[in-house]
Amino acid sequence: MSDLISTIQRTLEEGADLVLGWTRSATAGVAVPVRFYDSAEAEAAVFDSTCVHNLAVHLPRLKDRTVGIVAKGCDVRSIVELIAEREVARERVKIIAVPCPGVIDVKKVWRCFGYGKKCEDAGGQVAMEGKTAAREEILLAKCRGCRDVTPVIFDQAVGDAESLSAPAPAAEPAGLRERFRAMSPAERRGFWREQFSRCIRCNACREACPMCFCRDVCTMQTRDPHWAGGEIDAAEAQMAQQIRVSHLAGRCTGCEECERACPVGIPLMLLLEEQNEAVAALFGYRAGTDPAARPPLLTFDNNKDSWGER
Amino acid sequence: MSGEVKLVGFLCNWCSYAGADMAGTARMKQPANLRVVRLPCTGRVNPLLVLKAFKSGADGVLVSGCHPGDCHYNEGNYYARRRLELLARMLPVYGIEPERFRYTWVSAAEGARWAQVVAEFTAQVESLGRLDSAAALPEQIFEGRPADE
Repeated sequence: MSDLISTIQRTLEEGADLVLGWTRSATAGVAVPVRFYDSAEAEAAVFDSTCVHNLAVHLPRLKDRTVGIVAKGCDVRSIVELIAEREVARERVKIIAVPCPGVIDVKKVWRCFGYGKKCEDAGGQVAMEGKTAAREEILLAKCRGCRDVTPVIFDQAVGDAESLSAPAPAAEPAGLRERFRAMSPAERRGFWREQFSRCIRCNACREACPMCFCRDVCTMQTRDPHWAGGEIDAAEAQMAQQIRVSHLAGRCTGCEECERACPVGIPLMLLLEEQNEAVAALFGYRAGTDPAARPPLLTFDNNKDSWGER
Repeated sequence: MSGEVKLVGFLCNWCSYAGADMAGTARMKQPANLRVVRLPCTGRVNPLLVLKAFKSGADGVLVSGCHPGDCHYNEGNYYARRRLELLARMLPVYGIEPERFRYTWVSAAEGARWAQVVAEFTAQVESLGRLDSAAALPEQIFEGRPADE
């Protein structure tokens, strides 16, 4: 941890106005995001598998500042995509890369140990009020078989090159996604109707998403044109989510923040993973891997773009 | 799930709308299920228009514009093609059969081709029937929520 603290302090000394990181809270079950403005504050910085949030979500709102940010490999992909989209200037963001062991899924924790319990990471084991669970067992789905342990770009690194390229936890056995893929279109309609019937329209998916930076001009909420109604209704909720998904085409880095933030457990990543795969297959684009890339739907390639349409 | 299928067509002003007009003035026979919406260019076709059409009761959506290379605005249909192809691959994920959506290119001179596209597409959607999501709902598709896994 001292390495992390000194790196944050160095970043502040080198001209960052603030550094986004995590600290331990007396009440929250996991580490909480915090802004460090000076060296003394930075003494409280922590990083472990309870640092679940993607802090890149704050960057578009801090455009006028030079911002240091403690970032996992997956968070770095979001930052890279924000740079590619000209939403964040490369020289305005100072990335502090941390070796990530994978982060925990709070919903899985709650299921094991009950709601709202405080959990602590002690090397491979996550402990809660006397009980422990193997970290592997309660990781977020994205962390199993993670391809982003090594950050695409960074300014400072905590730990050595070896720890930044440590192998990711093994991929999760086939689950919901395989079952979804085996469904017929009619079954999928019913599946989504059932899922979205639980939506409470809190828009946490949008607020947690680093790529949803339109803020008060969000198409999910416009009234003219009235793309989706705001009422609690499965069809309207699904339409609203379809808006969000299509606006993330070629931009979603798969950070899974929407699904993590969803209070009613709608498997949003099913939609986004399918779309990300389609984008990769059609345009050979994987969002957040090249800060100089041109997002695929803002361009075209006459020589390649033909998919057998008649 | 009976009754006639309802189709919505988003047509570009410069090629396909003129092509459809030609099919009409030449009195070519074609099914009357398609409601046509005229747009300046397929580049104007926001994929949300298609999604909203399906949500609002359309059983099939057809998008038609100028052939690649012939766009009145030079490159509108090149951007459109990327968006529409991606949309075509996402519709099945939402549970809409891929056969319910088609995008195609019909020029102003291709009245006969337009009539053929409409006939083909209408027959294709008719074979699937109405997109009645409530009626298509099986009793219990999914035992337990994902949170219970």
